[in-house]
Amino acid sequence: MGSTVTYSEQELTAALKAKDEQAFSYLYDHYSGSLYSVILQIVKSPEIANDILQEVFVSIWRKIESYDPIKGRLFTWMLNISRNASIDMLRSKNYQNSQKNQEVTDNVYGLNQVTQMNIDSIGLRKFLGKLRPEQRVLIELAYFKGFTHDEIAQIEGIPLGTVKTRIRSALLQLREFIK
Amino acid sequence: MNVQDYISSGIVESYVLGLSSPEESAEFERMCAAHSEVLAARNAFEIQLEKGFQEQKLEPPRELKSRIFSEIGRDKSPVTHAPLAKPSLVPRIGFARYVAAASLILLAGSVLLNFYLLSQYKKTIAKNEELIAAQTQIANNNKVLQTKMLSYENAVSLMQNPQMLVVKMPGVPKSPAPSSLATVYWNTQSKDVYLLINKLPAPVPNKQYQLWAIVDGKPVDAGVFDMTEGISFVKLKTIPKAEAFAITLEKKGGSSTPDMDAMYVMGKVTG
Repeated sequence: MGSTVTYSEQELTAALKAKDEQAFSYLYDHYSGSLYSVILQIVKSPEIANDILQEVFVSIWRKIESYDPIKGRLFTWMLNISRNASIDMLRSKNYQNSQKNQEVTDNVYGLNQVTQMNIDSIGLRKFLGKLRPEQRVLIELAYFKGFTHDEIAQIEGIPLGTVKTRIRSALLQLREFIK
Repeated sequence: MNVQDYISSGIVESYVLGLSSPEESAEFERMCAAHSEVLAARNAFEIQLEKGFQEQKLEPPRELKSRIFSEIGRDKSPVTHAPLAKPSLVPRIGFARYVAAASLILLAGSVLLNFYLLSQYKKTIAKNEELIAAQTQIANNNKVLQTKMLSYENAVSLMQNPQMLVVKMPGVPKSPAPSSLATVYWNTQSKDVYLLINKLPAPVPNKQYQLWAIVDGKPVDAGVFDMTEGISFVKLKTIPKAEAFAITLEKKGGSSTPDMDAMYVMGKVTG
């Protein structure tokens, strides 16, 4: 319906704040694919990712008032909502129980391998493959598991400064990678 | 650390991807506000990141969009339910009407009741006044009766008294009213004189009856009396000694000598 309509970032934000459903439809059509990808890279389960994507878009609709353009672009805001929702899910009891069951099923049928390969070949996961192993672990823990630098220092048994330096240098490579 | 070094420290990527600590984020936001180069670097990375992610789309299930829209549609349910909520106002208005109607009925009833009670009150007051008047009249009558009774009692006691000498005075032959009759009750002990008027015509105006005692052939004033009190004993002057009693009609206040032409009755003391 609104396929021919395009919005500038400001127009889209204003329309969303005005609770314009057509703008929201455009937003979904335009960004659901990339956000779904991010969610899937974190939770790895399409079923769970579906639920999270639904939760994320509902959240965007409801919390659009709290979006502050001064702090970043709309996509960045939505990306962080998606990531946070996914990490919250990772930490929930339900997810952890389902993952245990999933592992059993996957090990029996080898499905996890297939899913894993698909996800590893997209987005930031693809980028992870380009990193040195010691950087890859830290980005995995920080971005995909949501641990703080302090927590990572404890988990990995390395100084906080080293965690910070390694993550920063990995992220600088990301800029080159995306380009 | 100069701004360029700050930009290339990895903080831009760290902040945008949500990996910076709250302190680092706060500092970065201050730097963005203070240095346009930092803001420009952030904006450039954001656009780059968005572009990169947009190239790595994974199509979510088709039904997801309608699920999301139905969920946000429920958000508006308070709005869509608002007209539904309004009909509930109708019974309320109806209820208010009932209340208003009921209170008008109650008010009317109250007014009527007040009128009824007021008229009842007035009736009661009037009745009460009647009763008070009747009671007063009864009390007055009672007083009159008591007074009469007392006088009769006195009369009876006088007549019963054994020391009392009774002198009947019939009308004399030359009396203006020959059928007249009066009786003197004379206490032989105390010499008090009581007069009982049995029958005498009402005196003409400015005249008064006067009782005389005849002592040694001469009349002695025994006092004047009125007839207004009806049948009763009238106590007159004490007379120590008398042969007879007589009544003449004299000028008001009495005379020193009787008008013999106006003698009505006379009786001799016997015994």
